[in-house]
Amino acid sequence: MLLIDILISGLVLGGMYALISMGLTLQYGVARIMNLAYGEFLVGAAFLAFWLYSDLGISPLAGLIVAVPLAFLANWAIYRYLLTPLVNRAKSRGQLEVDSILATFGLLFIVQGVALVAFGGQYYSYGYLSVPVSVLGTTLALNRLIAFLFAGLIGIGLYLALTRTRTGTAIRAIAINPTAASLVAIDVRTASAFAFALGGALVAAGGVLVSMFLTFNASMGVVFTMKALIVVIVGGVGNVIGALVVGLALGVIETGVTRLVDPGLTLAVTYALFMIVLLIRPQGLFGSPAR
Amino acid sequence: MNLARAPLVALALLAALLLVGLPLVASGYVLAVAIGMLQFMVLATAWALFSGPTHYISLASAAFFGIGAYAAAMAAEIVPWPVVLMLATLGGFVIALVVGLSTLRLSGVYFVIFTFGLTELIRQLVTWYEVNVKGTMGRYLFLDIPQSAIYWQLLALAVAVLLASWLINRSRFGLAARVIGADEMVARHTGIDTTRVKIALFALSSAIMALAGAIMAPRWTYIDPTIAFNPMISFQVVIMALLGGAGALFGPLLGAVPLVLLFEILQANFPNAYSILLGAVFILIVYGLPRGVIGLVDDLRSTAPPKPAGALVVQPARDQSVLAITDLKRSFGGLNAVDGVSFEVRPGEIVGLVGPNGSGKTTVLNLISGALKPDSGGIRYMGRAIAAENPETIARYGIARTFQLVRVLPAMSVAENVAPGLAFRALPMTGADARDEAEALLARVGLHHKADLPAAELTYIDQKRLELARALALEPKLLLLDEWLAGLNPTELEEGIALIEALRLDGMSIVMVEHVMDAIHALCDRCVVMNAGRIIAEGTPRLALAEPEVVRAYLGEPDA
Repeated sequence: MLLIDILISGLVLGGMYALISMGLTLQYGVARIMNLAYGEFLVGAAFLAFWLYSDLGISPLAGLIVAVPLAFLANWAIYRYLLTPLVNRAKSRGQLEVDSILATFGLLFIVQGVALVAFGGQYYSYGYLSVPVSVLGTTLALNRLIAFLFAGLIGIGLYLALTRTRTGTAIRAIAINPTAASLVAIDVRTASAFAFALGGALVAAGGVLVSMFLTFNASMGVVFTMKALIVVIVGGVGNVIGALVVGLALGVIETGVTRLVDPGLTLAVTYALFMIVLLIRPQGLFGSPAR
Repeated sequence: MNLARAPLVALALLAALLLVGLPLVASGYVLAVAIGMLQFMVLATAWALFSGPTHYISLASAAFFGIGAYAAAMAAEIVPWPVVLMLATLGGFVIALVVGLSTLRLSGVYFVIFTFGLTELIRQLVTWYEVNVKGTMGRYLFLDIPQSAIYWQLLALAVAVLLASWLINRSRFGLAARVIGADEMVARHTGIDTTRVKIALFALSSAIMALAGAIMAPRWTYIDPTIAFNPMISFQVVIMALLGGAGALFGPLLGAVPLVLLFEILQANFPNAYSILLGAVFILIVYGLPRGVIGLVDDLRSTAPPKPAGALVVQPARDQSVLAITDLKRSFGGLNAVDGVSFEVRPGEIVGLVGPNGSGKTTVLNLISGALKPDSGGIRYMGRAIAAENPETIARYGIARTFQLVRVLPAMSVAENVAPGLAFRALPMTGADARDEAEALLARVGLHHKADLPAAELTYIDQKRLELARALALEPKLLLLDEWLAGLNPTELEEGIALIEALRLDGMSIVMVEHVMDAIHALCDRCVVMNAGRIIAEGTPRLALAEPEVVRAYLGEPDA
């Protein structure tokens, strides 16, 4: 039953990727900020959850209540104070992209540096609900299952919020065309800041959930940023459903490679996937072709 | 030799002597710092060679540096040192080609993302190879290469890289890279094969980085993937090039010197907070000096005085048939923007393409110039099928265009806006000839006294003139004007009409999308009237525009 095993473990991991990528697609697709420090907030939230659980005895799921609003505020502040000057200065979308890449590249090293000073370079993990449960004949740790369920709940909530509310509609409008959105009285600035902060909150939620079953260290944020970026591009920039589907697929493919080939080659496979999609459909699997 | 420059030359010689002789006198520590400085000078200059003009940010310096270092560690036991260096350079070159071919055809973001994770990817691949194929991690280097030899190799490489950058900046290639950085679409429509230029520059820049890595390898006695592929290097290289100014030859050099010293001090005094401080310095530079130190210097200088205008140039061109379009179709999703359009343009003819907004006129121009590919139908230019060709190829054949929404290259001077067309047309022109020709073209469109202004400072009308001059630089036989006369005041309109008439007398054929009726009547031999993607009338302006269907398309049905 190796295949079912891979499929189920893969979907659980993929659920995390999907959640993280949805946040990035909000930041890049809506707020137009290419945030290279994105994964650092995942690591930050993971450490927060670790600290809450091992020092204060607060469960990671309760930790979500702390980590998510905190990340929302922190990301809002970053957009407002660090990135707004760049948005104002940019003459074109291309220039904003270059500037935001550079600024968040610097931010990456700052956040990573803080984490290194506080926690050092070693790997961390903690045992929370690591009880085996059986799903369709596959044994899975309960913490993975719960993380997956939470990721699913958050993802569905986000999807409904984007498609069923006024703010959500405004955010989707900006993803398609910020100039046109401002012409129909959408406050692009405020909505962009909101989308950026929301993206940060999602990745923090991802960090807390991931910390429940993966070992993590201060310098692994880059890899998560990388994977989220690839999922967003392959899924089509700004497309939440695309991020969801491709995120799940990536989880399954990675798990398959880990089990069947070699754990050291997962990133290589991610890259290969990226290259193949770029060759066949440069606009992403779910993106619409540019005119 | 000019006597006034003698002290300068003497100073330069002295500096060169000092640089070459440094290892003979300096202490071990000073030499180590100097080597670090040279290493980053090479890396930052190589980085700016590609990323400076094109604005494609590469975050993979560490990957290529590491490839060179690791290749050296693998090959050093087997082959002599010069061959090691060659192999390392080749390795960097080939891997950059693969990366470039898969991402540089596309928009810049894909490239950035790819390079962002490249260091980690290659590190994992090398680790996997070492563990699974070789069985052990890491390699020892027993090489008898002293510090001073490393220093001299790096110094030679630094000089070579600077020289190469200087030559490339002066060449057609450098010009092409700058146009790509300013506006990639314009670059293609002026005949530049953008993909090839980008890939070539990226591969060259990466090969240099790999060579630097190989030269530096003997400084380690033991090397493993974690040591060789240190992501911090990518970061440091970008920061240095940006501090100095990536657009100028000596910019990265200027950035490397103070920052290597700063890093040295930071690492010695705050080893724990090193990465935090580095990040902070980086952000300060991005915000405070967006164009680097060199940019700051440039801002303080005033613009050069205008030059006198050159003579008028006449370009005779007469051919049998110019353009034949048959049953051209292109749709966007469910919208048939161009739906079975056929018409012809004869030599020396001005054809007006008119019709209400959204009738598909600009799409037709985009199809002819190669910006879009037709779904079906044929486009023959001088008897040759061009429907499947790239914009740059079509531009070189001699079809030039202007854009409805002007696309000048704002950061470049007016003369530099014209230069790429001259340099990349079928019969290229560079150097002093090109300068004269550019001035003549500018004079012709009425911009002769503005050659040295940045294009961004021109008024809207002058930007339109500049676009026309840029198109004319391609020596076109067919000119596509997209509402070039829109927004001109009556005097300017008269001048514009006279200019287009003069172009026709030179033998050019012209397709003009236009709404200005006076101009259509004055200039066009024939009008093709479009509505909803189809041609609804064709003929002389007076007849075509009087057709009842045309009136209906513009003004709607009469009230019942």
